[in-house]
Amino acid sequence: MDGYDLVDVEVTHESADDLLDTSSSDGNDAVDHPQSVQAARLQAGQPDSELRSLKQLDDNSVKLLEHQVDAAYRALFEMDGKALLADEVGLGKTIEVGMILKEMHFRETDDSVLILTPAQLAKQWQSELREKFGLNFVCNYDDEFTGFEDHDYIIASIDTAKSDRHRSIVLKREWDVLVLDEAHYVKNEETDRYDLIDRLSYNYAFFLTATPIQNELTDLYNIVSLLRPGLFGTREVFHHYFVNNNQETLVNRDELQDRLHKVMIRNRRADTDIDFTDRNIDTRKFEPSPEERELYQAVSDYVKGAYSESQGQKLVLMLLQKEVVSSPAALEETIEKRLSEQSELTHADELESILDLIQGVETITKQERLLDIVEEARENVEKGRVIVFTQFRATQRQVLDRLATEGYTVHSFHGGHSSQEKEQIVEDFEEAGGVLVSTDAMSEGRNLQFCNILVNYDLPWNPMRVEQRIGRVHRIGQKRSVYIFNMALKDTVEEYVLDRLYHKIDLFQQSVGELSSILSRLEESGTSFEDQIFERLVTADSEVDLENDFDNMAVDLQEQRELADKLEEFNNGVFDGFDLGASDD
Amino acid sequence: MTDAAVPVTESAVEHFTERYLRSRGCDIEKRGDHWTITVPKEINSEILTEGLTLYCGNDSADDDVELLHPDSSFFQRLLTEASQRSPTGRISIETADTETQIPGWLQNSDVEVKDAKFTPFYDRTALVVVFDVSIETVSDYQTELLRAVAVDTRSEEPLPTLEETFLQMISQGDETSTTAHSDTLTADVQSLLDSARQQLIERIQGTIDEVHQEASRAADAEVEEFRQLQQQRIEELEQKHSQISAKIHDLSEQINGGDEEERIEALKERKELKEEYEDIDAQLTDLRQRRDRGFPERQEEIRSRHALDVRVRPVTLTEVEYEQGEIEFELASEKEVRKLTLGYGSGVGVTETVDCDSCGESFGGENPLGSLSGGLRCESCSV
Repeated sequence: MDGYDLVDVEVTHESADDLLDTSSSDGNDAVDHPQSVQAARLQAGQPDSELRSLKQLDDNSVKLLEHQVDAAYRALFEMDGKALLADEVGLGKTIEVGMILKEMHFRETDDSVLILTPAQLAKQWQSELREKFGLNFVCNYDDEFTGFEDHDYIIASIDTAKSDRHRSIVLKREWDVLVLDEAHYVKNEETDRYDLIDRLSYNYAFFLTATPIQNELTDLYNIVSLLRPGLFGTREVFHHYFVNNNQETLVNRDELQDRLHKVMIRNRRADTDIDFTDRNIDTRKFEPSPEERELYQAVSDYVKGAYSESQGQKLVLMLLQKEVVSSPAALEETIEKRLSEQSELTHADELESILDLIQGVETITKQERLLDIVEEARENVEKGRVIVFTQFRATQRQVLDRLATEGYTVHSFHGGHSSQEKEQIVEDFEEAGGVLVSTDAMSEGRNLQFCNILVNYDLPWNPMRVEQRIGRVHRIGQKRSVYIFNMALKDTVEEYVLDRLYHKIDLFQQSVGELSSILSRLEESGTSFEDQIFERLVTADSEVDLENDFDNMAVDLQEQRELADKLEEFNNGVFDGFDLGASDD
Repeated sequence: MTDAAVPVTESAVEHFTERYLRSRGCDIEKRGDHWTITVPKEINSEILTEGLTLYCGNDSADDDVELLHPDSSFFQRLLTEASQRSPTGRISIETADTETQIPGWLQNSDVEVKDAKFTPFYDRTALVVVFDVSIETVSDYQTELLRAVAVDTRSEEPLPTLEETFLQMISQGDETSTTAHSDTLTADVQSLLDSARQQLIERIQGTIDEVHQEASRAADAEVEEFRQLQQQRIEELEQKHSQISAKIHDLSEQINGGDEEERIEALKERKELKEEYEDIDAQLTDLRQRRDRGFPERQEEIRSRHALDVRVRPVTLTEVEYEQGEIEFELASEKEVRKLTLGYGSGVGVTETVDCDSCGESFGGENPLGSLSGGLRCESCSV
C-alpha cells in the first residue's frame, strides 16, 4: 500500500563472537554439534500445535468434518485466537467454535467465556455445546442465571448483555474468550451493540457470520477492526484503497484477500465433501370430524375473547391454541390443570363446556391417519422405523397407546428420561424397529440416521424447531432419501402455518444455517415468530383478514429469505471474486 | 535460506531427549511413560542429576518426576543446555551417503534421466549459519524465524540446496559424517558471516515488508484515532467556549441593569468566567495549532513506538565439507539419447545454470527441459 512509511525499520546484527569462543570441553564433538543445531531448531519450533482434545469427543455425538477441524486449527494456532469464521451457511460454524472451546478447555485457557448470540439462538447454542462437546454453559434465560458476574461460562443474547442492567458488569470483567454469533449485527459502529463489543475486554475472540458484508465493504472493515484493530488501517485509507468511488467495483482485490486471510476463514459448500440425500415432503391435510371442528372453534373463540380482555395470559392461551390441533388429550390436561389451580378463574364456564366438547370427540382424525403412514412404512421400510414428533406429552401417550393397541412396536422418548435411558431407547429403536414417538426433547446430538421417515404429528410455530426435528434424521451419514410427513387439520391454524408460511419459505428444504440467518433478520424487528403467528390469529376480525395477515407475514418472510440469499451471493462475490465486475488492478 | 525450525511434537521431544541423554552417557530404563535415568558421575550438567525420573506427558501426580512434553520446563532447560554445548562445528558430506540431486528442470521434464555419474575432483567447504530472526513491533505482530543460510567459503556464493541437505542430515542425527568442533573452523568466518547476513536479509525482505506494512497501518490507525479524539475535544471546547461567551454577555447585561449587590455578584462571576474563557481559549488555540501541524510530537511518538526492531542472531555455525566435481547425466527422450556434463557438488547439487539452446532462457523448475531435438530446448521451444 502506497504511503505507508510511518514507522522506521531498524535491523541489528548480533555478533558471533560468543559462538566462536564456545568450545565443547567434555564431549564427543561429532555428536554434540549436530545436537546443538537440532536443539536450536526445536527451540524455535512451534510447540505441538495439534487439537489435543479431539480424541476426547464422542463420535456418536458429533461427526467432525475436515473443513471444521481445519478451521478450528487455523483459528487457534495460525490466527492467535482471534478469528472471523465466515463459512457459507450450513457448514457448521457452531461446531468449529465448539471444537475451539473444547480445545481451550483442555488446555485450561478458558477461565471465563462469554458467548453472545441473537436471542432465539441462545438455547440452541447451549444444548449443542453440551451435547456435542460436553461443555456446560449457563444461558441468560435459565432460572439459575443470576448475573454476568456470577458465572464463568455464559451464553447470552447480545441485547441482554448490552442492556442498562447488565452492561457495566459485562464490561467490567476481563473475559478470556468472547464468541460473537451473527457478527454482522455489529457492523454499524454507531450502534450500542458495536460499542459493547468495542469496549469488551478479552484475550481471544471468535466472530461468526456467513455474510460479513451486509450493505457495503465498510461493514467488513468494522467487524474486522473489532477483532484486529489496525489490520486495515484507517477507515478512509481502507475505502480509498479497496473501493472505487461508486462502491460498485472492488479494487486491489488480491491484497484484500491476502489481508483477510490473516483473520478470516471462509469455507464454501462446493469445497467440502458434504453431500445430503434427497428430502421428500408429503403434507397431508385432513377434514376434521364435526366434533373436532366444533371443539376447535370453541377453543379459538375462547382464546380470542380471553386475550382481548387480558394479554397477560398470552402463553397459556397460545398453548391451548396449539394443543387443540395436537390432541384432545393435551388440551384436556391443560384445561383441567387450569381449572383446579385457579379457583377464581374468569370464563371457567367456557372452559367447562370445552371439556364437554372434548368428551364428545370419539374419533381422533390425526391418529387414524397416522396409522396409514406407519402401515405404509411397515410394509416398505427396513424394520418399519418411523419417528413421530409431537410437542405434547399427553398427545405422545395417546398416540403410543393407540399404536400399541394396533400391534406396533413402540418406543417413547421425552425429556423425563435420564441420559442413560435415552441412549437405551435409541438403541432399542434401532434394533427392534417400529415407531418412536418423541417430544421435542430429542436432543440435537442424537444419531438417528438409521431412520429415514419422520412424521410431524403437530407443528411447532417456530421454524427452527421443525428443522431441528428433521435434522435428527437428515444429516451427514444418512444414506437414503428422507421422507417427511406433515399432518394438519383443514381450516385450522396449522393449515395456515403450513400452507401460508412454511411452504412459502420452502422451510422443509432449508438447512438450520439458512433458517437461522432468515430468522435472525426477522428478530431484528423485535418480535418472535411464534408471537407473530399468535397475534395475527387472535386479532384478525374475519377469515379474510386472517388470510391477508398470514399472507403479509409470508411476504415478509419471503423478503427476508430473498435478502438472505442476495447477501450470501454478494458475499461470495466479494470473497471469491465474482459478480462485482472486473477488478481495476 | 531454508526454514530451519521443526515442529515440536511429543514424539520429537522424546526422540531428541533420548538421543541427548544417551550421548551424555546416561542409561535410560523405560517403564511405560516413566523413564528412570542413570547419570554418569563425572557429568557436567545442571539438569542431569542423580535419581532423575522423567514422565512423558503433562499430568503426573508424582511430584518427584520431571515432566517431558513440548512445553515442559525440563525440556526447555534441556534444549538450552544442548544448544549451548557445541554451537560451532564441522561436518562433512560423503558422496556415498547422499542421493544424487537432480535439478528441478530435469525432474519436471518429460525427458528421462537414464543415469547419473558423479566424479569428485576436490574437496570444498561452505559455511552454514543458522540465524534466529525476531521482528518485533509494539502491536500484536511479532514474528520469529529460524533460517539456515549456506555460502561457499571460497566464492561466497549462496548454496541453497546445501541448506536443505544440511538440515536433513541434522534431523536424521547423522553422526558418522560429523568430525570436529569449533577449533577446527578454518575459514574466515567474519567475512562469510557478512555474506550470509546479506543473503538472509535479502531473502526475508518480503516478510519484513509485510510486518512493516502492518505496523504502519496500526500506527496510522492510532494517529487517526488520536486526531479524531482531539477534534472531538476541540468541538467540545468550542461549545463550552461559546456557552461561556453567552453567559458573559448575559452577565454584562445584568451588570448594566441590576442593583448594587447583584452587580457586584455578577462582576465577580464574570471575572471568574472570563478567566475560564481565556483558559479555554488558550487550550483551543494550542489544540488547533497542533492539529494544523498534524500533531507532529504525537505522530513521532507513535511512529517510534511502532518502529520495527529486526534482530538477527547467529545461533550455530557449521563448516560443511563437500566434494566438488562433475556429474554426467544420460538423458533420453522418445527419439534421442544424449549425455550432459555439469558442475556438481555432493549435497550441493548442480552448480551451474543451463540455458535453452533455442531461446537462451535459463532452465528452472518453472521452465523445464522440453526436448533434446536440436540441442536442449525448453518446453515452450519444443512445441
